[in-house]
Amino acid sequence: MSSSAMETEAPDLVCHLDNVPGMVDALSSVRWKRNQDALVELSEHGMVLIVEETGCLQAKVYLKRELFILYEYNAEGRPRFGLGLGLFIDCLNTFCVQGIASVVEIRYPGPDMQLLLKSVDSPDAFVYADIRTRIPDTISWDYNFEPAGTVPTRFQSAVLKEAIDDLEWPGSSIQILLNPDPPSVTFRGEGHGDLQIDLSYRTSTDLLMAFQCDHRVSHRYKYKFLSATTSNIPSSVLKDNRGSKMTIGRDGMLKIQHLVSVAKPSVHHPQNNFGAQNQTSRIAYIEFYVKPEESDGPIDNA
Amino acid sequence: MKFKAGMRVEGLEILEGRFMAAVERVGGSGMKQNNSGGWQLYLTRDHVMFLHNLLGGGGDGVQCVAQFSVSLLFHDYHISSRNADRIAFSVEPSLLHRALRSSLSNLIHSSSSPFLQMKLVKKLPAGSSRPAPFLSFETKGQRSAVIQDVPISRPLSAADVSDLHSALLSAQELPETLVQVPDLQQLQGLVDRLRHVGDVLSVSITRYGDLHLKLSSSSLVTLGFEFRGLRILGVQASPLPNEASLSPQARMELAIQRGEAMSVQVSMKHLLKSIQCHLAKPDCTFFGIAPQGACLMVIFQFFIPGTRQTDKSISLHCRIPVLDSGSN
Repeated sequence: MSSSAMETEAPDLVCHLDNVPGMVDALSSVRWKRNQDALVELSEHGMVLIVEETGCLQAKVYLKRELFILYEYNAEGRPRFGLGLGLFIDCLNTFCVQGIASVVEIRYPGPDMQLLLKSVDSPDAFVYADIRTRIPDTISWDYNFEPAGTVPTRFQSAVLKEAIDDLEWPGSSIQILLNPDPPSVTFRGEGHGDLQIDLSYRTSTDLLMAFQCDHRVSHRYKYKFLSATTSNIPSSVLKDNRGSKMTIGRDGMLKIQHLVSVAKPSVHHPQNNFGAQNQTSRIAYIEFYVKPEESDGPIDNA
Repeated sequence: MKFKAGMRVEGLEILEGRFMAAVERVGGSGMKQNNSGGWQLYLTRDHVMFLHNLLGGGGDGVQCVAQFSVSLLFHDYHISSRNADRIAFSVEPSLLHRALRSSLSNLIHSSSSPFLQMKLVKKLPAGSSRPAPFLSFETKGQRSAVIQDVPISRPLSAADVSDLHSALLSAQELPETLVQVPDLQQLQGLVDRLRHVGDVLSVSITRYGDLHLKLSSSSLVTLGFEFRGLRILGVQASPLPNEASLSPQARMELAIQRGEAMSVQVSMKHLLKSIQCHLAKPDCTFFGIAPQGACLMVIFQFFIPGTRQTDKSISLHCRIPVLDSGSN
């Protein structure tokens, strides 16, 4: 790499991250298959990473600038690039080895439009990664989620994951039913067999942390897309128990949100520009959007 | 051909607790057809050696040599053969490890004069009409006496033994410069993670103590790491004053151009296997590139317990084959 090329013009983004494992967790939660293309969009507010399964499932990881101990953004507009998600995660993972790098610098673009990662603050052991980026594929931007009046249902993350894991057995198509009276969420799988999971709000408040629904809502989703929303959520999410939100929007679009902590577990870093005291705000938002099966509209199961 | 030896408990502990775990990890199965590859146990008048992949060229795998002086392991040692008192045979490390482990557990609570004897025997295996060779372990503990027979290959022919011996001699050619890796487990962690991204590594070592490992099998990513200012044994040089500001890759290229660094390409799998030798709990680990880039050597050093002096009665090293002679 030629350092002169970079000096001539400030790169679009230079940021420093002090909790690489947290970022690995956040990104891994949207990795539902081995080779997955991701699109990254940079802005002054942070970084968004989007992955998609043709037209049926989309996931976004929001990495706000507050997650980074340094975030220098110099671009006009919102630069976008494509890269292999698995490769990005595997590279970041290399920085997680004990005693190697407490802080990682992420820089874009490199002289050849790469995403450049390197360890900072470790004079004797230096790790670097230059990841080739691509001109992004077009993403179908029709995932505009429009709320349909329902308030998100908040699950214990572990409960949601367990329920969806259990539905693997019937597989194929899963019906999600929100019922105001009695207030409950029902997952029903019909495929190789039938399985129904009822999570009732009143009797077991520890399963559903919040629930509000004024009319019956019911839609069907493909199991393989539904399972992608929870199959890789990191154990830290289950442990932190911040809850996972599920909302069904207009036309049955399902939105599932997880919160992943990217806070540094120990004391704050002297370079911290954003106040390490404010650790609670260092959360990465993971959002999944699943389109319903198109079959026959809302199903009535009176 | 005769071999019979009384083993010291300390020797048993060194083998069982440290070396056998490494031996098992480095080289899978030892009993291969026609005695090539795998692990050989090579006994001479002065040394006991575990040799991996030295026979049959061994060109496609990691060669590993663990050598112990007889007095470290045995208090009483008798060996005789028509081939200058040298005996070699192939053995499956996991079976040997199991026999040593149970011998140790049998002796551990025993009286002040533990008895463990190791000898070569020929026995008739169950269900067979032809006698087969075994390495037999006899232990007498406080309450029980146990005899375990570990199956081994037919002893190597005189020609094979001399091949083994010359391979051993040529495997001892040392690199000009060795750098000491401070934390082998950390290195293992790094290489383990690189494994997910690619399978060929380029390893470069400078005469001023830099070790640089870089993935060289992926077109999508350049991923590597560099340790600087490591302790050096052998030929040294001082770095250029202004090179600290360069990127690790540029720095290494410059050093290679100036003839102060060597670089080779090795398989990730081979390097990981060699690093498994940390299970033998070495006190120091050195990396070096053999003259003419013949191989990457990993040399493990052991101290006399309680001191910082090298224990000359134990030696362990690996030779990792080079996939491509690199830029040197």
